[in-house]
Amino acid sequence: MASDRSNSNDYTAPLRRLLLAVLILLLSATFLLWRIDSPRVERFRAQITDRLVPNLDWAMAPVTGTVNLFRDFRSYQRLSEQNQELRSELRQMQAWKEAALQLEQENARLLDLNKVRLDPRLTFITGVVLADSGSPFRQSVLLNVGARDGLVDGWATMDGIGLVGRISGVAENTARVILLTDATSRIPATIQPSGQRAIVAGDNTIAPPVDFLENPDLVRPGDRVISSGDGGVFPAGLLIGQVAADPGGRLRVRLAADYERLEFLRVLRHYGTEHVTDTAQVITENGPLEETQEAASE
Amino acid sequence: MNDLSATRLWLMRAAFLLLTLVILFFHLLPLETTPRRWAAPDFLLCFALAWSLRRPDYVPAPALAGAFLLADLLLQRPPGLAAVLALIGCENLKGRARSLRDANFAAEWISVGVIIISITLAYRVILAIVLIEQPSLSLGLSELFLTLLAYPAVVAVTHFGMGVRKANPGDLDGHGQRI
Repeated sequence: MASDRSNSNDYTAPLRRLLLAVLILLLSATFLLWRIDSPRVERFRAQITDRLVPNLDWAMAPVTGTVNLFRDFRSYQRLSEQNQELRSELRQMQAWKEAALQLEQENARLLDLNKVRLDPRLTFITGVVLADSGSPFRQSVLLNVGARDGLVDGWATMDGIGLVGRISGVAENTARVILLTDATSRIPATIQPSGQRAIVAGDNTIAPPVDFLENPDLVRPGDRVISSGDGGVFPAGLLIGQVAADPGGRLRVRLAADYERLEFLRVLRHYGTEHVTDTAQVITENGPLEETQEAASE
Repeated sequence: MNDLSATRLWLMRAAFLLLTLVILFFHLLPLETTPRRWAAPDFLLCFALAWSLRRPDYVPAPALAGAFLLADLLLQRPPGLAAVLALIGCENLKGRARSLRDANFAAEWISVGVIIISITLAYRVILAIVLIEQPSLSLGLSELFLTLLAYPAVVAVTHFGMGVRKANPGDLDGHGQRI
């Protein structure tokens, strides 16, 4: 270092270099630990977020509100244009409403005839979006509900209409939702009406592509995409969106959920799909024949 | 005089950490829930480099490491990797701060640009080596270019808004010694 420094600097300089080396080692060790044992470090990350972000909420809410106000203000400038659009949409909606009412009545009648019980365990918790991922490389949001509210990793999250993502990372007061648009999101789906199984694989665009489609010829743009529940970690039958073809001819999903404004999200409680585990057994007059007896008699 | 400058030193160190929190706060605001085609510049890195070059004693290595690690954790990046690269970049710049002190802004911009580009490059190479999925190239490049473009603005804010200026020859540091 410089020659005109006094003595005190001469021995703080090596100390400083040592400190720097220790810091570099520590940070590299954190990264390596994350690479080797990711869940533990991710839990630590969730805890740090849990500590910090809810405390910023008092400041975040007004700032977010103000920014949204200005955005709305910009849209007020196109007000008459929008009014026209809304009117024509409203006319279409009235036609749909009639259709929906008729279908609802029909559905109620049919359910009544069939004595169908909808799954009573499929209840939900509503959470408020606290923060987004903070970087354009990741698509996730942070909810203000967490382990305290009984949330479990892997549960589905919806807005009012469609699937938004799944819970990945639960801390005491907060939980992170990986959105369907994130590059790491993979959701098993069924495409109606053809019943084709596929994976909705996020790729950091607003419309995730449909992967692993068995027979693309059977799928047309406009078909409904719903979650299939394959693998048993995700509830089946949740609306994801509609199939659309991009200019390159690739099939993508136009998501039903409104990603522009994610404010309140529903987390669906889901305790796994039950499986039939036992095979057919021989029934005698003393009840079902035991597995071991069967094996012994063979 | 000595007491005053020591107070100012610690105030400015606290100010840097506060600045980090403010930047992260604006990152985390739940405004962007749809994917974007471009990425905003990395303001934290810009400010850290600008401060390291101007007043190395305002941003000691532990503060830098803590700020970068917190950013990694909150912004869903691999924790520690971007932090260690940014820390090495800042420390490298601190080592050259005395020689860059007399240089004009173009020279400063070029040397900072080289550091930012090497950080981005090293980040991607290490991610590739340890087989982690890389962020998309177009997003990464847009972040890199916008960061390079944002640096002069960040320097202007640092210089005029925050009063973090290059030390003049003969200025004294917190211990009453020449910087």
